[in-house]
Amino acid sequence: MRDKLIIGRMIPTGSRVHGLDPRSKITAMLLFTAALILSNGWPQLAALTILSILVLTATKIPAKTYLRALRPLRWLMLFVFLFQLIAGAGNGTVNLAAADPLLWSGTWGPFTLTSAVLSSALLAVSRMALLIVFTAMLTFTTTPSMLSRGVEGMLKPLSRKGTGAERFSLMMRLALRFIPALLEEAQTILKAQAARGADYEEMKLKEKARLLLSLLVPVTVGAFRRAEELTTSLEARGYRIGAPRTAYRQLIWRSADTWFTLLFALLPVGALLMRLTV
Amino acid sequence: MIGWTRRNAGDQSNSEAVIQLTNVDYTYQAGSPFAATALHDINIRIRKGTLVGIAGGTGSGKSTLLQLLNGLLLPTGGAVKVLDHTLLPNMQKPRLNALRRRIGLSFQFPEQHLFEDTVEKDLMFGPMNFGSSRKEAQSKAVEALKSMGLDEALLKRHPLTLSGGQMRKVAIASVLAAGPEIVMLDEPTATLDSAARRELIALLARLCREEGRTILMVTHRIEELMEVADEWIVMHEGRAVFQGDADELADRSEELDHWGVAVPEQLRCWAEWTARLPQLAALPLPRTAEDMARRIEEAVHGFEKCESTNIASKEGSQQESAQELNDQADSSMDAPYRHEKEVSACVTS
Repeated sequence: MRDKLIIGRMIPTGSRVHGLDPRSKITAMLLFTAALILSNGWPQLAALTILSILVLTATKIPAKTYLRALRPLRWLMLFVFLFQLIAGAGNGTVNLAAADPLLWSGTWGPFTLTSAVLSSALLAVSRMALLIVFTAMLTFTTTPSMLSRGVEGMLKPLSRKGTGAERFSLMMRLALRFIPALLEEAQTILKAQAARGADYEEMKLKEKARLLLSLLVPVTVGAFRRAEELTTSLEARGYRIGAPRTAYRQLIWRSADTWFTLLFALLPVGALLMRLTV
Repeated sequence: MIGWTRRNAGDQSNSEAVIQLTNVDYTYQAGSPFAATALHDINIRIRKGTLVGIAGGTGSGKSTLLQLLNGLLLPTGGAVKVLDHTLLPNMQKPRLNALRRRIGLSFQFPEQHLFEDTVEKDLMFGPMNFGSSRKEAQSKAVEALKSMGLDEALLKRHPLTLSGGQMRKVAIASVLAAGPEIVMLDEPTATLDSAARRELIALLARLCREEGRTILMVTHRIEELMEVADEWIVMHEGRAVFQGDADELADRSEELDHWGVAVPEQLRCWAEWTARLPQLAALPLPRTAEDMARRIEEAVHGFEKCESTNIASKEGSQQESAQELNDQADSSMDAPYRHEKEVSACVTS
């Protein structure tokens, strides 16, 4: 399970992208997503792809690793592709039928496939893949704790008074910490049940449903137990929401962060302009 | 405390191997950036009907080793031969239920893997998966519960309402219920109190000696298993650095520290005495506290007798005092230390 789900884990290579402030990376990520949503044609997508390839290369993480991050979602991507094909052009968000000249079209039984539909389906999948890869880049280059610190830093101006940002960041940090812990626990339990003769990979569908129960009950019990232990241990060490607190690693905004953010700020602006002029 | 008679060594070496590992490697997440080698070049042979202790520091590969034997993990190099199955790297994942019925594995904190609403259902889970009928599974559940020394009244209870020690035993019983020939346990005594620990080990020893099952037990505390283990495997940084019986372990007790394993009380005590009384060094390591106390007693008295050259009353008094010591000795390992003064007085005189 863990070797398949590699998204969400930091891969240290010491690149310049790793050294960026998490706030700038999160902002860039948001801007990138906005640009992806706004983009409605191949030229924009090409620009976004080139930029992401540049950033991905700068992380010094092999391209193979990014492809692995895509793997768990390949079926969803296939589904999106087929859905776009069948739903056809004209009723999707990406309406290329008008913009693209009709290169060819073919009819098989009830299905009519046109170049425009194919192009829009490919576009939808590419956008999805780009989004996943970019998110993977963020988590590969930023530790979960830095991520949540970044979110906290970005939320602070929104909640001058009160402890909203801190609560949210603590919640996020604990949730992130729980993901690998629970996955590991689930994996151990799966193995323990396999040792008692219930191997997931050797079962029929009906038995699998039953196995799910043998997995869900211990994992849920375990999650509650962990959560309770964690809160007790936090309180025992004097943790209090809203208490004045210093951080071991200060977030430092350097000029590189400003440039990085500005570069990405251009994307949605550009996409919007192109959209308006078309 | 536990009076099992040890089979003689010649007998054991002839009996068949139920587990044979040849040049086994295992790497977690091979080929990914998170690849971590857990086992290097493991060569192990385990004979049928033996009780094997597996010791090693944290992260030494003990748990990975057990999972390989059960086919939960396939080796990334070498060959794992268990009973009549051979597991090889990159093989098409075989259907392993036939193997798993015969080789039970209890993970660390197995009580966390109970999930049914009654103890009985949990105990029946294994046998039913391995193709027993409901009736058979029920009788196997009762049998397993009894073999762990638990009362049948527990059958209808919810697992989560039991005490920690009971839950642990029920969980181990749920592995035994399928009737495995080989039972592997990963630190079954962790977090149990000393009475429960001793009881559990006595039960495992009984499974081995009376029912002829092969037992592999991972432990952090060598001392708890010293009395009953036929053989020891010590893991260190993914390698099996030692395989042999307690005597051989005693010979290499200085290395244990380096391997990240606490030197058991018995070995420390024995080493201290053999240093003082060289004639003890020739003897095999006494497995029980009582036996060790008696050996030391004999040696100490022999030493005294030599010094005073009072040979006439030697026989009688030696036997008498050994008897007396035997009466005193309980399972605690400080028994031999009681005679420390006596010996130091003897040496100085």
